[in-house]
Amino acid sequence: MTEISSPMRPQMSFAGFRAIGRWWLLLALIASLLAFAAGRPQMLDSGNIVTILRSASIMAIMVLGLTWVIAAGKIDVSFMQIAALANMTTAGLLAQGSGWALAALCGIAIGAVVGLVNGVLVGRMRLSPLITTIATGGVCASAAAAIGAGTSIRIDDTGLLGDFLAARLGPVPLIALFVAVLYAVAWWMQERLTFGHYIYAAEQNEEALVDVGVPVHRLLVLVYLISGVCASVAGVLLAASLSSGQPMIGSSYFIDGLTAVFLGGMMIRIGRPNVIGTATAVLLLAVLVSGGALLGWPDYQREIIKGALLLAGVAMAVRMGRALDGFAKGGRS
Amino acid sequence: MTATSRLPSGFYRVLAFLALVAAVVAIFALIEPRYLSMRNLTAVTRHMAANGLAALGLTFVVVVRKYDLSFPGIASFAAMTIGFLIAGGYSLGAAIAAGLGVGIAVGLVNGFAVAYGRLPDIVTTIATGSIVGGMAFLYTGGRTIFQNFMTSGLIDLNDIRFLGLNASFYFLIAIYGVAYLVLHHSRFGASFRAAGENPVSAHLSGIPVRLYTMGAFAVCAATAVLAVVLILAESGTADTNEGANFLMPAYAAVFLGAALLGGASIPATLAGTALITILLDGFSLLGVPYYYSDGVVSLILLAGVVLFDERLRREAAFLMTFLGFGRKIGETHP
Repeated sequence: MTEISSPMRPQMSFAGFRAIGRWWLLLALIASLLAFAAGRPQMLDSGNIVTILRSASIMAIMVLGLTWVIAAGKIDVSFMQIAALANMTTAGLLAQGSGWALAALCGIAIGAVVGLVNGVLVGRMRLSPLITTIATGGVCASAAAAIGAGTSIRIDDTGLLGDFLAARLGPVPLIALFVAVLYAVAWWMQERLTFGHYIYAAEQNEEALVDVGVPVHRLLVLVYLISGVCASVAGVLLAASLSSGQPMIGSSYFIDGLTAVFLGGMMIRIGRPNVIGTATAVLLLAVLVSGGALLGWPDYQREIIKGALLLAGVAMAVRMGRALDGFAKGGRS
Repeated sequence: MTATSRLPSGFYRVLAFLALVAAVVAIFALIEPRYLSMRNLTAVTRHMAANGLAALGLTFVVVVRKYDLSFPGIASFAAMTIGFLIAGGYSLGAAIAAGLGVGIAVGLVNGFAVAYGRLPDIVTTIATGSIVGGMAFLYTGGRTIFQNFMTSGLIDLNDIRFLGLNASFYFLIAIYGVAYLVLHHSRFGASFRAAGENPVSAHLSGIPVRLYTMGAFAVCAATAVLAVVLILAESGTADTNEGANFLMPAYAAVFLGAALLGGASIPATLAGTALITILLDGFSLLGVPYYYSDGVVSLILLAGVVLFDERLRREAAFLMTFLGFGRKIGETHP
């Protein structure tokens, strides 16, 4: 995309300014890490770093697909409820005595089905993405609560998945390495495959993309399917990580997920969500949560800060995105 | 979404809607005879009042082709503000006025950001909803407020009855009546709807599109606060997530109503609210656990938007013209 649209963009005169504009989120991450470390030295303890990386890893898996949904100009507000449903499905099956492999696969399969339904309704039937995913999310939330009859389900043995989450390579948890590889592959898909180019093209002008013969419907179905699968994988991992199925888990990930994607959209490809930006923003949020907890901030203050970050992220992404391609789109819309 | 004011098709749609309601009521009454009792009718109308108010403001936002996801957060914040002031000894009127004030202020911020700042509506309102939802904790750190609620007269709002129905229901009907006249039978309403149908030509016709968009968000916030006042009066306590239950029923009411009556409008939202409340109330009377209610509402909403999908509607309209019913295929919004 950068290569394609750069001739249309007004050239920025200061390369240094541009670099800061593209990488400032990374600077913010480092700065906040250092600031918290200055206030509370425990911040940089290896135990704390591992905790941060572990929670950020699960979060990162959950919002990987969401990044592409939003990059394609759509929205998915069902992702956290898909995670909750996958989480409860896994826990419910384990409580009934089935093995981890089957329980995890069923959880992921359910997520895939919901993602597919979202994709068909939005991509094929052209329904409003917000209304559709509000509704499917509501169904998932209800189903998740129904599995446990309104309460959580305890998991006695977290199995191989629990070992995988607990495993570390030196100071780094194994799951973080896994997520790093996953994101590297996703970055490659987004940058080097036509898949990625079409996602950004769909955001710009869906009809033009249809006219040149790109199967946009199938692309959208695929993107929603990926989002459903990512969310459900995260839900299954959460079952192992929390040793329980929690039906209400969704609401706590809702703002975080969207904040991560939109903040991430202010990095590298300014105004456009991308996987590296999402990964950085997820880390930033995890650092804020951990640092805030160490400094004794109450939960609601963090909610307010996250909301403010999301608002700032969107405002800046829109402003900068508009400043960059304002000429290409012919100024006022 | 097209306007609803074409009488013939609208008339049949209203008939179909009434038949649907009658069928639903009949099914519930067959399973559970108590469904037709006066007591249940009172309960239905009372539940309808809060959900209907929340959905009313959302209708204005949807008419200008935007979404608002912040009104549950606004309602929670306003609920705690009102509760805090009542507990602090202020009068009921002052507390409600203050609640409306903070709610409308947040609504104006939303509207300003979306209309003048041209920020994306969904994400902006999710963010502001999260901020004010967090601010609901500021007063007490999350503890429930109930002091002075009995003596302030707030509870009495819930108990006033007239002809067996709660005063809140008459309030709902009155405010819907006003909204109907304003949106569908005034010059202001016509230009307001034009601003939603086609912002560019509305702007070129001299309609202050951005101002109207901002106003729609303020109205949405205001009705959410009014709705939460009814909930406060009913429960007698103010909680930090008092507004959380508004989201699904309000969206379902607006979009189910729009699907049933062929476009977002005040009567459509009232119809949607009525249908959803009747269903939810019936399920709770049958003893269906609470956690199914969101799922039921979601499924109805999904069924509504799928079955009344614009393409399907257009094909149905085409079929009607083809069969000689004479109605031109409506030009739809691209």
